[in-house]
Amino acid sequence: MTVGIATGGRPSVREDGPRPVRRRKRKFDPLPWLLVSPLMIFIIALALVPAGFTIGASFFRVQELNPPAVFNGIQNFVKLFSDGAIVSSIGNTGLYVLIGVALSTLLGIVFAVVLQQRFRGRSALVAILILPWALPGVVEGIVWVNIWDGNTGLLNSVLTSLHLIGHYQVFLGQNQFVTILLIEIVQVWQITPLSALLILAALQNIPGDLYEAASLDGASPWQTFRRVTMPLIRPGITIAMVQAVIATLNVFDQPYVLNGAAATGSSVTMQTYFVSFQSLDFGEGYALSLLITVATLVVSFVVLKLVYRPVEF
Amino acid sequence: MKKRIHWLRWVGVAFIALWTLIPLYWTLNTSLQTDAQASSKPAFYIPPTPTFNNYASLLAGNGDIPESVRSSFLNTLIECGAATIVTVIIATLAAYAFARMKFRGRQALFYAVLATMAFPAYTTLIPLYKIMTWFGLVNTYTGIVLVYVSGFLPLATWILYNYMSSLPVAIEEAAGIDGASRMQVLRHVVVPLARPGIVSTAIITFLFAWGQFLFPLVLSSDISTEPLTVVIASLQGRHVVPFSLMSAAGIIAIAIPAAIAVVLNRYIVSGLLTGSVK
Repeated sequence: MTVGIATGGRPSVREDGPRPVRRRKRKFDPLPWLLVSPLMIFIIALALVPAGFTIGASFFRVQELNPPAVFNGIQNFVKLFSDGAIVSSIGNTGLYVLIGVALSTLLGIVFAVVLQQRFRGRSALVAILILPWALPGVVEGIVWVNIWDGNTGLLNSVLTSLHLIGHYQVFLGQNQFVTILLIEIVQVWQITPLSALLILAALQNIPGDLYEAASLDGASPWQTFRRVTMPLIRPGITIAMVQAVIATLNVFDQPYVLNGAAATGSSVTMQTYFVSFQSLDFGEGYALSLLITVATLVVSFVVLKLVYRPVEF
Repeated sequence: MKKRIHWLRWVGVAFIALWTLIPLYWTLNTSLQTDAQASSKPAFYIPPTPTFNNYASLLAGNGDIPESVRSSFLNTLIECGAATIVTVIIATLAAYAFARMKFRGRQALFYAVLATMAFPAYTTLIPLYKIMTWFGLVNTYTGIVLVYVSGFLPLATWILYNYMSSLPVAIEEAAGIDGASRMQVLRHVVVPLARPGIVSTAIITFLFAWGQFLFPLVLSSDISTEPLTVVIASLQGRHVVPFSLMSAAGIIAIAIPAAIAVVLNRYIVSGLLTGSVK
């Protein structure tokens, strides 16, 4: 780096926030624009324009095998709700969200409380905890097929060895609730590490003297947890629940790998894929994408309103 | 009371470790067995005669399945590597401008970038497919990398913005007074100081890219560009592939992200927390 003498420049103290620029330039400064332009080109061309396209095109009939595209109002949406596979996938997805958000939040709280303690091997446990978050959902599907499988799965083997079941059972694709529960456990396995970390961060923000005060007042560990810890980690729990809502409402990899196209476990995102890329009815696909997007935003907002309380220390 | 808490803690530790590791152990266990052993009832909880035959046949054998596993492994490496490099460079430039420079519309642009994070990624699946078709980029590395980069940029920019904003501005100002241009300040001061944040961003981007499935299923599903996830899902769909071989393919597909997660988990944790808590 060159060391020069700044002639006439003065290291002024500014109160309008930090910036490394030496002189206040009156004329147009192109540098920040140049720096953000690659980002903006990507965001506009490959995120905002496509998102706008999804909204607009969901009101058109766009069929690959039946061009051209024609405006048809809300016909795509009407068609969606008369398609049995899609209606049942909406019910399935509702179950995925309920089970997934509840389980990942509960486990996330438990894991975070465990990881908040100081013990030997804690950092190794964090490394283990993060693993399922870091691995591809498709491969996690393969991993768990090998556990739930009706012919060779680990669960059947353990249950028969313990004489809890007489002979091997087929778990996936029979009963709708069991199928969805078992598939969602696989997704919970993947998303819980992030929930745990988010809640752990909130736990670590709680000042230690609050716990001291609680114990001086004779509060039991459970009372301390209910009355001190829980209210103060609500912001962390909120973020964890919102990320779980987004992940579960858009679940695709796990049901696709574990249960294929079968109606017992099919999700809305899977139906979007089938409608668009197998039936080649893009108009309906756009409409379904738009519905999931709106549902994601609405449910996230509801969770935010219900769970979030501002916290000040 | 103290005693009981202590006892409960170790139950919790054991639960986290077993919950995470049993499924992975089970896949590893199956991958080290012969097809006959893997289909026995009850199952072998440890491989009776550990064999690497499944790995050998996938990594060195001939035929449709081994060849597609090998070529898709290479595709995954190329696509994830390229997406990570491009994302980190673009996000670093933009984050520096957002964190340290004033310009008209800065806030509006920044919020527009962040707002795209609130939308589910699959909102844009069909239009992106159309766009890539128009430009002839379906089944090309360029096409899938462009889509990955556009998907990962908002989070990457957000993490780097937070990291750079937390750096003390005095060093940059001193360099500026010494006559360094702003680009020199970025290169020689900000980037070295922000290295942990940049590493976090790179790791998280790489892992996200490695796990992608639906986008490549639509945009790069022929042998020239399909990643491991697409190949593995299609093997699973054909019921002729035995579990022992499937498990070995699964272990091959998770070896690199698993190693990254275990060794570099510190960076992942700090990146994810700066990326989502603020």
